[in-house]
Formats: sequence, C-alpha cells, structure tokens
Amino acid sequence: MLGKKIFNLMGITLLIAVMLSACAPATTAATQPPATSAPASTSVVTEAPVATEAPTAAAKPSGKVTIWMWKAAHETLTKSGVLDAFKKEYPDVEVEVVEYAPTDVYQKLPLALQAGTGAPDISLVENSHLAQIVALGGLTDMTEWVKPYLDKMNAYKWADAKLDDKYYAMPWDSGPVVFYYRRDVFDAAGLPSDPDSVSKAVATWDDYFNVCKTIMEKTGSACFSNNKANNYGRLYEMMLWQQGLGYYNAEGKVTVDSPENIATLETLKKFWDANLTSDQLEWTDGWYAELAADTTAKPIATLVEAAWMGAFLKGWIAPGTEGKWGVALMPAMAEGQVRAANDGGSAFVIPEQSQNKEAAWALTEFLFGRVENQVAMFKSSDFFPSLEAAYADPVFSEPDPFFANEAVRPIYVDVVKDVPIAFVYGPHYPEMNGFVATAIQKVATGEMSAADALKEAADSIRSQTGMP
Amino acid sequence: MAETIIMPHSHLSPIAKLRRKGIEIFKARWAYLFISPFYILFLIFGVYPILFSLYLSFTEWKGLGPIKFVGLRNFELLLKDKVFWQSMTNGVFLFVLYVPLMTFMALVLAVILNSKRVRGFRFFRTLLFIPYIMNIVAAGFTFRLMLNQKYGLVNAMLGIFHIAPVPWLESVWGGRVSLCLLVIWAWLGYNMVIMLAGLQTIPSELTEAALIDGASSAQAFLYVTIPLMRPVILFSVVLSTMGSFNLFSEIYNLTNGGPMNATITPVIDIFNQAFGNFRLGYASAMAYLYFIILFALTLVQFRYFGQQAD
Amino acid sequence: MLTRRLSLWLTDALMYGLLIGVSIFMILPFIWMVSTSLKPADEIFAIPPIIISSHSSLKAYAYLQEQYNILGIVRNTFVIAFSATILRLFFCALGGYGFAKFRFPGQGALFAFLLGTLVIPSAVTLVPIYIIMRNLKWIDTFWPLIIPGAANAFGIFFMRQYTMSVSNELMDAARIDGAGEFTIFWRIILPIIAPGLTSLGLIFFMGSWNDFIGPLIYLKSPEHFTLPLIIRSLVGPVGRTVYDVQMAASVISLIPLLIIFLIFQRRFVEGITAGAIKG
Repeated sequence: MLGKKIFNLMGITLLIAVMLSACAPATTAATQPPATSAPASTSVVTEAPVATEAPTAAAKPSGKVTIWMWKAAHETLTKSGVLDAFKKEYPDVEVEVVEYAPTDVYQKLPLALQAGTGAPDISLVENSHLAQIVALGGLTDMTEWVKPYLDKMNAYKWADAKLDDKYYAMPWDSGPVVFYYRRDVFDAAGLPSDPDSVSKAVATWDDYFNVCKTIMEKTGSACFSNNKANNYGRLYEMMLWQQGLGYYNAEGKVTVDSPENIATLETLKKFWDANLTSDQLEWTDGWYAELAADTTAKPIATLVEAAWMGAFLKGWIAPGTEGKWGVALMPAMAEGQVRAANDGGSAFVIPEQSQNKEAAWALTEFLFGRVENQVAMFKSSDFFPSLEAAYADPVFSEPDPFFANEAVRPIYVDVVKDVPIAFVYGPHYPEMNGFVATAIQKVATGEMSAADALKEAADSIRSQTGMP
Repeated sequence: MAETIIMPHSHLSPIAKLRRKGIEIFKARWAYLFISPFYILFLIFGVYPILFSLYLSFTEWKGLGPIKFVGLRNFELLLKDKVFWQSMTNGVFLFVLYVPLMTFMALVLAVILNSKRVRGFRFFRTLLFIPYIMNIVAAGFTFRLMLNQKYGLVNAMLGIFHIAPVPWLESVWGGRVSLCLLVIWAWLGYNMVIMLAGLQTIPSELTEAALIDGASSAQAFLYVTIPLMRPVILFSVVLSTMGSFNLFSEIYNLTNGGPMNATITPVIDIFNQAFGNFRLGYASAMAYLYFIILFALTLVQFRYFGQQAD
Repeated sequence: MLTRRLSLWLTDALMYGLLIGVSIFMILPFIWMVSTSLKPADEIFAIPPIIISSHSSLKAYAYLQEQYNILGIVRNTFVIAFSATILRLFFCALGGYGFAKFRFPGQGALFAFLLGTLVIPSAVTLVPIYIIMRNLKWIDTFWPLIIPGAANAFGIFFMRQYTMSVSNELMDAARIDGAGEFTIFWRIILPIIAPGLTSLGLIFFMGSWNDFIGPLIYLKSPEHFTLPLIIRSLVGPVGRTVYDVQMAASVISLIPLLIIFLIFQRRFVEGITAGAIKG
C-alpha cells in the first residue's frame, strides 16, 4: 500500500518536473557591432574638445557606461586625468566605475554573462583569464573596431583576445618582466649595486643562484619570496614564458610534463633546497612587510616581476624605500637566451548584453588607442602601455627617483620588444594553473619530484580538458 | 510517523475504491491546502533541481550556449579525477580529526556544567556558545590572521613557551588541523548545548542510585549516563559527520582547499568546477556521485549504530 | 577524609581549569577581532603582537561607512534575514500543522519524501537553482535568498513535531463552534506554537544573516551586498587586505546577533535541542 503510494507520488513529481524543464535556458550568440561606426583616428591630438572624424551615421555616443575594474586601475583612471579628458570630448557619456578585486571579477563576470543580465558595459580582465572568458561567450565581437590597432599593440597581447579569427578585447597594458633588486642589500652583501653590474651578475638563473647564496651568507636576507605550500606558480610561469614554452604548445598538445618544463621547475627547486627564499605568500601582508622592511629587518633582496610591480612598490607597498631599489634584466635560462617574459597585463571587454556598446567602445578607444592617454596613465601608475607608439614619448626615457634616478623605462621598452610568444595563458589557464600550482607546491615541500609532480598534473589536465 | 487510516473495504469494486479515495481526499482538502504552499515551493526548488541536476550530469555545458549530451563521460572522468577522490579522503580525514574529539569534549563540558559543583552555569554556557553565532567568513579570516606563521598571535603565544613557529596554514596536516580548530571552535558550543539538554533529561535518581550502590562517579558516568545519552550522542555525531563533508564557508575563507588540496571537500570541488571552470555538467555529475557515496555511508552508519543501540 | 577532600578539590580545580581553558579558546578570536579593528593598519603585523594598541581608534568603522555604506549593508542583511525567516516560519508552521493534525491520503509518503531530501547535499541543487534564478531574472536581487529557502525540510519537520504536542480539544471545540479551518490555525494554533516558532525563527534568522554561499552566487552590485560578502570583498591580491576594516565589519556583523542571542537565549537553546531530544 505504502509503496504504491510512493510510486504514484514519484510519477506525479516526475510529470511536473518534466513540464517545468520546458523552460530551456536561452542561448546567446555574439553579434557584430553596427558597421556604421568608424573608429576615430589615432593621431596624436591635444585634448582640444573637438569631435574627431565623426562616424558616418551615428551621432556622438551618449549614455551611462559602467566599468568593473580593480582599485589600482580605477585610481589610475582618476589620477591621470584621462577620465576628465574623456568627459570633455564626450560630454554625453557618463562613466561609473565599480571596484572589484580581480578574483571577484572572474567570479561575477562569467555568472553575469551566463545569466544574460547584470554584466557591466565594460570589464577589465587580466590576460591570464581573458581567453577563458572569451571562450565562454557573451562578449561583443570587437573585430571591426580593433582592426586599426592590430599592428599597433604588442603582438602577443592579441592571442588571448582572439577566438576563431574574431577579436573580443582591447589591450590596455602589458607586463614586461624585469629584475627588481634592493641596492642597499646588495651593498651590504658586498656586491656591486648598479644596474649594469647587476644585470651581468644575474645573466643566467645559475648566476642568480650564486648571487642569492652570497646575499644569504652576508646579510641573511632571503633572495626572493616563493611560498612553498601555497605557491601560485607565477614565477614558474615567467620562467616558462621567457623560453617560449608554456602549458601547451602550438599544436594544442599539453606540455606540462615535457623535459624542458621539468628542467625549469628543477631550476626553481634549487632555490628552495638551498633555503634562499622567504616563505611569505605573494599579495599578503607578510609579503608586503618584507618588501618594505629596511636592512635591519632582513628585507627581500630581489623580485622578478612585471613593470606594474614598480608602481605598486612606489605607490603603496614600500613607499618608504624610495631610492633603495634598482631595475636590471631578468636572468636568462642559459647563456645568451631571452631575458624577457610577460606577467599579467590586462584588457577591456564589452559584454554583449551592454546597452551602450558605442559609448563603451568610445571610452575604450579613447583610453587605450590614443598615445597621450596611455602616456598619462603610465605617468601616474606605471601601467605599461600595450600601444607601441606610446614608447616614443619622452617620459619613457626619464629617470625614476624611486629607483635612485635610474632610467628604468627604456628597460621596460626593450624587454617588451623581446617578449616571446608563449603558451601560458589560454582558455584553460585557470584549470591548468591550478593543477600545476599544486604540483609546484608538492615539489617545493619535498613531497614529490618535479618529474612526478608535473606528470601527475599533466595527466589530470589531459583527462579534464581533453587536450592530448 | 503519521500514517493513513486504513479503510477496511478491500471487498469493494475498483470504481468504488476510487470514489472512496476521492471522498477521503475531498474531506482532507484543508490539509492539502495547508501543506501546498510548502510543497509547491519544495517541488520547484527542491525536487526539480535535483532532477535537472541529474540530467545535467550527463551533459557538458558552460552555462551559455548549447547543452551537449555526453552520456557517461563525466562519470568516467570522475573516476580518474584525483582531486575529487582527494576531496573524499579529506572528508574522512577531517571526520577522524575532529568528530570524536569535538563530541567527547562537548560531552565532558556538558557534564561539568551540569554537575552541581560548578558555578556560573549561564555564564559559561553563553561564553561557549557564542562562536556559533559568529559569521563564518569573519571567523575564517580572524583565524587566518591568528595562525599566520610569522606574524600570528598563536605562534607568538607558543613562542613564549619556546615552541617553534608552527606552519599552521603552510603544510598539509597543518592546514587540516587549522581547519579542524576552526570547526571545533565554531561548533563545540552548539554540540555542548545539545549534550546538556540530553543530560538534563536523565533523572538524577538513576545516577544517585548507582552511587549509593557503591559505584564511583566515573563508573556512574560510564555505565549509567553514557548509555542513556546514546541517542543524543548519535544525533550529534551524525550532524558532525554530515558536516565534515559539507564544509564550505569555513574552508573557502580559511584555506580555500589548500595547501595542495589538503583541505578540499567535495562541496568546494563542485563549486570550483561549476563557478570557476564553468563545467556545469561535470559539476552536476560530481554532486551526484558525492551524494550516492554519502548516502551509502549514512546507511552504513545507521545500520552500525542501530545494531549497537538495540 | 583528607584524601577525599583533596580529590574533590582536585576534581573541582580540573573542571574549572578545563572550562576556563576552553572559554579562553572560544573568546580569543573575538578579542583579536575587536583589537584588530581598532588598531592602525601598520600595527597589525607587529612582532610581538599588540593586543591593545595605544593608537586605538574607530577609524576603520568610519571608513566602512564612508566607503561602503556599512549601515546600508546591515540593512540589506537584515531585510533578507527577516523576510526569509518570516516566510519560512509561515510555510513551515502551516505545513507542519497540516502534517501534524490531519489525516489524509498520501500523508506518509509525502512526508517521507520530504525527509528523504534532507540527505541530499545542497551541492546537488546548486547549479540548477542558479539556472532557475537566472531564467526568472532574479540574479542580483534578494529573491533567491528568500524564496527557495522557505521550503525548509528541517523546519517543517521541527514544526510538525512541535505541533503534534498541541492538544486536539481546542481545535475540536473551535470546529464545533463553526470556526473555519484557517481561522483555527491563525487564532488558536499559532499562539500556542509561538515559542517553538520563536526558537526556529532564531535559528533561521541567524542562518540567513551569516549565509555566505547564497549571496556569493546571487548578489552582484555592491549596494546589494550582505555583511558576509563585504567581509569577503575586503580581501584580495593587488590591493592590501585591509584587515582592520575587515575585522571592523566582522564586529558589526556580530553585534546584532549577539544582542538577539542574549535576549532570546532560552529560546535559542530550545530550538537547537528540540531536534536532538524529540527527534
């Protein structure tokens, strides 16, 4: 009796469920922007509030543009004055910025894109996550808009914005990787502390290793920080990038456990084994504290990071250490090889659901396509422009007092030109980075050998992503 | 358990039975009305999602675009998914690490508070219960601050006793222990209150009688109190067990599954797959496999304890 | 005689010691939380740690209000928690009454089915409910945090148990007097089960107030955030984790619940233990 009743009930429930499942989720497809809006020219023009060659049919864009970006980027926009300049040229466009940390953007933006509602008109996205979001769908096809800029930006920036020959993002800044070091720590260790000597001293990672040993012996300072158990894997990625390697290769095969990748990890491992690193986790207060410390408190001596790190050090991490830092070239894997890599960099995307795409593009182009604006933003925050024409500006040869009046910017320019095409970012980056970071953590804590750990990660990646 | 009144009319024809059933239903229409708001919501937000999730587990879907049917592929992948199985074994580790300890401590504390010897019953009960009302996000971050290897309060206090700084959040077992510390901190008071209530239902005459008969307090405790408390203890243990696999907010805010996936639980893994990798089909398959395993475990637990409880 | 005294004294000392020890363990994070919220940012990572800073100020709290409108967030959290609780209580009380006091075909199966779903981990329904909410265009509204939870299986189970202990005579008498069924529920049953409702309501309220995963998935704009989300959003690489502000937000999140708890202590405890004892 009871069983029968339960069966009846299940039947009714199933029926209702089937009826309800008729509400199938809507599919969306990216559409082309209207062909009438011609992009404004990119000639170096002063901020005279004159409309540039007006688009043929559409009037000047108007409406409200909401942008999601993180605090550092927002401050750049306001402090550099570019938002004010934009307001003068496009008085009918209102710009509103909502601040989210990058991790929040990567959680909320995809949800909003999937939901078909709730996305901003523009979102800032780091290149590491760009390909994944582009692959998700829901972004405006910007191919026609960005065509004039394809050869004007750092070439490698477009890879993550592209899907099936269409472009879905506009690059803002790049992250050419250099070698930051503390002059005062080098001095205390009896090492020459001028940039040229330092560049020579750390010509290869093996040389770097020896320098670190000296620093540790003489001053007790850790060479750089590379947390073991919670490592994010970013330094390892930079090492892969400079060799033109990555998590996969041009044919789409997973290379996480290739001999070169394993060898790279083993190079990194040497530093852990010799106790030359600090265990502070990047982007935590402990790490900031160690960067900002003075020599009595054993600060971190060096830092291999991208150009935007300089701005952070200056601005809020270690403003009190002005004059104590220097910039040199990052070590090469082997004698004569490339001493450049990329870490980070970001771009604007415009979700398909935006009601103000014209205005959004106007702002995007204004900010990133015009030399004077990229330069203004760089001046205020060291966000290194992907727009190559900007490098001609005099600011790129100026000395920087934070770095003891070294002319650091030409270094960034040179490095960015040398950055090889690599296969670190991509549509599966978050997943791959997750597996490889775990492998790195296991190697760092001595749980597994580099070969085993990377093989384990590679196998998981292969089965989970379906890549060979 | 409520049951329907069995109508002794099995000799009637089928149509008559149906008619009688119809009358019963009509007579009870108010009952149906009363339970319908709840039940309708339950069907929409409880049952339908469960079924839809089952459907999704045989597909591949990013939440956007077409849903692709892939049959059993997700489950095949799951069997090979090291992270998922790690999350299941983590559940076991966590269970072993904190459930016995927390249950025991809850019981002991309850007994202490219940004994007439201690004053300040209200005060202590409140104090011990407060962590339960604390927002778990805040608690997670506070613990993170306190357990920082170099700058944290805990290692500083240990340093007073010349104990070397413990890598609370920097090692595999450190991470698990830290998580258990957080969970015990949050839930000990809750479980203690449950035990207290259970203790208070035991008439004191029983323990007194045992004491008069010559048993020591320890013996009275072991042979009178505990057996009588068995249902309450079981309740607490079952809750904690289910909890140890379902931990989400505690982990998300303290260790986020690390280090090295040492503190990942199935719920965190499902969340990551669904909202981090946008693999909704895979996440649904994972949820179902997890549910099946959990269900089997619960059955085993009840059978085992059921036999013991007689 | 002496040894008995001594052993008693020892036992007492042990018991108090344990109690106090555990209490300190419970309280310590709170102290640290409050202390951090009052410290200037550069003292948070001082070695040795500073408990009471000489530079204590309410700066962090002021910052919360200026930058994030924390009072508005508190209001959001309260609105959600309150609405969710009321709705849940109503549905569970009504449903519980139906199951407790009536006999009807399918009763056993319907209820067993309900209980069965308690076993199913919420992870299973995470994705589909999100899809439903999306189709209803309820993303970034409060509705997903209020409506689905109304069908709370634990709640209806609790209310059914509780309502079963109400004597039938009052109901029968009212029926004889010609009162409608709903009036009986509203005027007679509800007042009697009010204590149970209070206990359950407290648990629901607290659950909603502290809920993290729901707001995480469904709330997008900062002006819609709840307290747990704000605390979480104050962290993140590229930009300091403002621990002092974060702890201040945590303190703010705690205070209303603390007040409610202290007032309604007894009911709280009843609500929790009822499941264990009567279940």
